[in-house]
Amino acid sequence: MRRTSFADSPRLLGAMVASSLAFIVAFVGYPVFYNLVMSFQEVTLGNIRDFWRPFAGVANYRTLIQDPAFAQVTINTVVFTAANVILQLGFGFALALFFNLDFPGARWMRGMILAGWILPPLVIAAIFKWLFATNGGLVNEALLATGVIARPMTFLSDPASAMPIVIATNVWFGTPFAMILLSAGLSNLPDEVYEAAAIDGAGPWQRLVRITLPLMAPTIFAVLCLSTIYTLRAFDVIFGMTGGGPVNATLTFPVWSFQFSFQQFTFGQGAAIATLMFVFVIGVSIVYIRSLKSETRL
Amino acid sequence: MKRARRYGLTAIGAAITGIYLFPIYWMYASSLKSPVELFASPPTLVPNELWLGAYHWIFTRENMPLYLANSFLLAGTSTFLTIVLAVPAAYGMSRLRSAWVDGALVGVMLSQVLPPALMATPVFIFFRQLGLVGTYHGVILALVTKSLPFAVIILRTTFLQVPGELEEAARVDGCTRLSAIFRIILPVARTGIVVAATLVFLMVYGEYVYAAALLPRRTMQPATVGLYSFIGAEISDWNNIMAFASVFVTPVIALFILMQRLIVQGLTSGALKG
Repeated sequence: MRRTSFADSPRLLGAMVASSLAFIVAFVGYPVFYNLVMSFQEVTLGNIRDFWRPFAGVANYRTLIQDPAFAQVTINTVVFTAANVILQLGFGFALALFFNLDFPGARWMRGMILAGWILPPLVIAAIFKWLFATNGGLVNEALLATGVIARPMTFLSDPASAMPIVIATNVWFGTPFAMILLSAGLSNLPDEVYEAAAIDGAGPWQRLVRITLPLMAPTIFAVLCLSTIYTLRAFDVIFGMTGGGPVNATLTFPVWSFQFSFQQFTFGQGAAIATLMFVFVIGVSIVYIRSLKSETRL
Repeated sequence: MKRARRYGLTAIGAAITGIYLFPIYWMYASSLKSPVELFASPPTLVPNELWLGAYHWIFTRENMPLYLANSFLLAGTSTFLTIVLAVPAAYGMSRLRSAWVDGALVGVMLSQVLPPALMATPVFIFFRQLGLVGTYHGVILALVTKSLPFAVIILRTTFLQVPGELEEAARVDGCTRLSAIFRIILPVARTGIVVAATLVFLMVYGEYVYAAALLPRRTMQPATVGLYSFIGAEISDWNNIMAFASVFVTPVIALFILMQRLIVQGLTSGALKG
């Protein structure tokens, strides 16, 4: 790309970048650093305003790991994230392939499906909580009417079914985004390869496995990373539908951290969870950013 | 035959879209049912009669107008602030090439991935020290921390697509950098900026965590916090809740339908490319 040569350029452009950067350093960078500090401090409601507080060593982390809920929260977070990423990718890819076919209204319908993704997650939580309600919920009514069950299921207050339902809700929310990104990838694939494959007599299945999937690998990898990052951010859906319950069945790290800080006011533990999760999320992001860079160099 | 197949696919597509969007329909349908019809078994797919009692209830008893006003105030102000900060930063990043700018871009991307529910803890303590808890300013600043990195990344892509030759021509004509930006770059990038602003608005309008953590006073809270206080308890007046949700999200859905095509374009160009 050609550079333009205004006399004032570098300094002015630098100032433009610096203003936003200063904001991000002050209001994102500093809180992240401060969170790390807090996770080693004894933070109580009484000393919130102090910067220097009693040093607690690794006490916050130790309390956390020794908490009886710790193992379950870890498993919940892994299950919730893995199930979401796999299902969003699977459904998103199927939908992207389908709406990539040439038929009237394909693009418009694909766009309309994105409506699920722009809704506030808390509203989605409210709608799905009502759909799965024990009394009068549509899912229960449908199962009762068709004779599948004899009495209403307590979907969200039963530890066995709460997690699958919360996962399903978040998959509903996240799938359109995966679909849109995969659709963009599909539309960038070169037509010539498919024409050549058709001449060679490759069937639709062979074309999918031998051509589409390998060519889509970078996009699929990007979507995997992005939906992992977005799923680790999930809070409103779980908090609104179950609040982490029943008996911790849907408690994940973000919900747990929020509970420690804003319901029990044990900010040190909230900060300790946040620090652990930040390390993980930033790790995934660095993998993703590196993959983007290697792609653009090709 | 070929035509029949294409319309067959349209029918399947319409069925998929309809099933997917059904929960949104169910929200509106439930909001228009009377308490008796709401629990009819089997449930009515279309309300027998349009009952507006739930809407009456949320506007008179649940303070819907105040919640909505707070939501628009917070979302509108933070969208404005985000765009004002993001446009120059994104433009600068699209025109400067240096290791320094590459590093800054990575920093911006990393600041976008931090989960707000986890950021809430340090942000709350930090803002408490600054005296920003319980003020609109505090929530707006917190919202901008979430939307600014997102807007910078999307807008940088927009400005990268504006050819540098345009500025070169402006310079030859005697423009300074600033006048070239205002006279040429911003008009050319107008659509991209509107899309970014729309996406930012959709994001901050639906935000719950920061408002819940930073605004203890009920009269200052946005509709998300109001909705949570509704669904958090054990409740059965789902028609009221669905009416609340409907009123809250109808502006979002309208904005989405209006901007659908551009939003799809903006997302695909901004999110995948670094």
